[in-house]
Amino acid sequence: MYPAKFKGKLLPFIFLLPTLVILVVFLYYPVIQTFRLSMYRVAFLGLKTKFVGLDNFVRLAQDPEYLNTVWVTLVIAAAVVLVGLGLSLAIAMLANQKIRGATIYRLLLIWPFALSPAVAGVIFLFMFSPGFGAVSYLTSLFFGIELNWLGNPRLAVLLVIMASVWKNLGYNIVFYLAALQNVNTEVLEAASIDGANSWQRFWKVTFALLSPMTFFLLITNITYSFFDIFGMIDILTKGGPLNATNVMIYNLYRDAFEYYKTGFAAAQSVILFLLVVILTMIQFRTSGRRVHYGG
Amino acid sequence: MKSRRKYFAMVVLIAILALAVAACAQQQAPAEGEVTEKVVEVTKVVEVTKIVEVQKEPEVTIPEGAVVIDFWHAFGGGRKLLIQRMVDDYNFTHPNVFVRVENKGSYRDTLNAAILAAQQGNPPHIVQIFEVGSQIALDSGIFAPYEDVANANGIDFQPEDLIEGVANYYNFGGKFYSMPWNSSNPILYYNKDLFRAAGVDPESPPETFEEMLAVCEKIVSSGAAKNCVSWPLHSWFFEQWMANMGAELANNGNGRDARATEVLLTSDAAKTIVSWWKEMYDKGYYAYSGKLEDWDGADAIFVSGQAAMEITSTSDVVNRQRDAAQNGFELGTGYLPYPESSERQGVIVGGASMWLSAGHPEEEMRAAADFMNWFTNTENAVRWHKGTGYFPIRKTAVQVLEWENWFDQNPAYRAAFDQLLATKPTKATQGAVIGAFPEVRTIIEQAIEKVLAGEASVDDALAEAKKQADQAIQDYNASVE
Repeated sequence: MYPAKFKGKLLPFIFLLPTLVILVVFLYYPVIQTFRLSMYRVAFLGLKTKFVGLDNFVRLAQDPEYLNTVWVTLVIAAAVVLVGLGLSLAIAMLANQKIRGATIYRLLLIWPFALSPAVAGVIFLFMFSPGFGAVSYLTSLFFGIELNWLGNPRLAVLLVIMASVWKNLGYNIVFYLAALQNVNTEVLEAASIDGANSWQRFWKVTFALLSPMTFFLLITNITYSFFDIFGMIDILTKGGPLNATNVMIYNLYRDAFEYYKTGFAAAQSVILFLLVVILTMIQFRTSGRRVHYGG
Repeated sequence: MKSRRKYFAMVVLIAILALAVAACAQQQAPAEGEVTEKVVEVTKVVEVTKIVEVQKEPEVTIPEGAVVIDFWHAFGGGRKLLIQRMVDDYNFTHPNVFVRVENKGSYRDTLNAAILAAQQGNPPHIVQIFEVGSQIALDSGIFAPYEDVANANGIDFQPEDLIEGVANYYNFGGKFYSMPWNSSNPILYYNKDLFRAAGVDPESPPETFEEMLAVCEKIVSSGAAKNCVSWPLHSWFFEQWMANMGAELANNGNGRDARATEVLLTSDAAKTIVSWWKEMYDKGYYAYSGKLEDWDGADAIFVSGQAAMEITSTSDVVNRQRDAAQNGFELGTGYLPYPESSERQGVIVGGASMWLSAGHPEEEMRAAADFMNWFTNTENAVRWHKGTGYFPIRKTAVQVLEWENWFDQNPAYRAAFDQLLATKPTKATQGAVIGAFPEVRTIIEQAIEKVLAGEASVDDALAEAKKQADQAIQDYNASVE
């Protein structure tokens, strides 16, 4: 034990200074600017600004298109998080078994994570393009139907969810595998001796012991599905068809950088920020309490 | 239990492997459509490597004492190379001036970068700005009217030599605020082999909406192609058809007499266009990739033979000729179709122009204006046209091309020219000037998308779009006034 002790009160702050400067310049200042801009009407790229109070927010609240965007975001996020976590836990369980070549399987499973969202998006775009995509070709070959994955609103949502889940699968599997390998086998043995069947052993022991990891992944996956999904949407659907995949982050990007409505986009950014903060707080209040950290 | 789990793991793995193998097999033995897709990919790769080559070139040292002029544009690939070569020629022949040329990404990126640079007090001298950004460029107040600068420095850029359609678009209130540069408009490309297979005369492509329906009926029912025609679901085509029918898109003389406050989306012309579009789609004649503004998707549908015709930009003449040669079909070109209920008025010039930013020392302004004049002179207009397919914007350049028998040797260019030269100069074909044009475009596209999907009637969708577009314009106008 070496209790750290600084002689003065200034020294620790000097050590922290580089971090603080970077945080202030690249994080806090832009955040404060965003909050300020959300109350202005801004001509393209800030050439002229006019204070409008909460007008931007009022108009967003009354805009059915924007409310639809919020709904779409919630649906896609819920699906990406639930399907993504469920699937990756299942795969991690399978990959955690002692089978020949297990390390190779594990390595292969992590691959999708190494791709950038843009590359993953292009791969899915090529596979699902109507007319010349591999999936479209196979479905027409075997079932005689050609689904318009990009033109049908429901299928487009499904496609975005599939691609986003697939893209983040490697990340989730890595963390779940690591957590699974830390699960104390003695506890599992004890449970077997007490007569627990495999289902009970999984839910009552393994899953409970994984809960800190699940909680962590829940939060990172929600952030992923709210923000990082942008690249996927931009390449696959551009928010279409009929705004079916127009999530909040994409809508605000378009308002800010394609339509030059900076103030309006800043207001959307504030709403998105608050939404994610609230969701995270709810998680800490509810599931966070049930997380079992002991081993 | 454990062994059962193991079995499950095996089954999952086998399924994944099977899919992977299927995907590989699919790639090794592609269907016809696949082959063309591959071709498109390969050409793109070539372009990318070209860009890398350019970036690897050693920085040319700026000659001492030379006036440095910055020129930002939005072209990549072969076009970027051509621009660089032209600029090198200028620098070589004008030792006291050095033009530094830079690619800034897309049209939007270039405009954003230029405005940001201006805010920081260091704008590039010359910026390429796309046509729908014209109003934004005017409102930004960072550009000097090109005509004034040229006249003040005794540079005669011969505006009377500009092709009428080009001159019309970039003339705001009787003055050239920018120098027209790359100009194009939509034409009809068609696959003569598929026309023959369907028993349609390959030398007379459909000219009207009605003929289009009739030809498509033959092409689809004969099984020559799955669909008949493709073009990107892009507002640009809607705007062109409005102009072709002589209908203005915005009020106040298409935004030319005074700032536009309304988009005329509920006019009869607008309804005619969207209704025809819908009919074409419902009958399976019209096909698009399902995505908005997807130019590549429309190209792939046509080039792969899934559709017998494509409507797209004249600046694609070079690309389509190459595609046709590579895929072994004969390419034909025709005019943009129009409805029989109206007369053909012609098309709007799309593309971009060069803007000169204000506030530089006298010497630099003169050099920049001189470069812009040189870059678009007759000789360079011919060179630019041959290298890209964009129009030569000068009448004298067209004469040069005629003397060279260029059009006889390259018949695909013919329709593009005749269509532009036959355009009647009206407020409609001059093209709309709208501040919130980028947003209005999306609104129009979404309305058409809704109609095609059967979510709304033509009248309802256009009425709703008009409401949204008018609101967008109001917001824009309020933000700059």
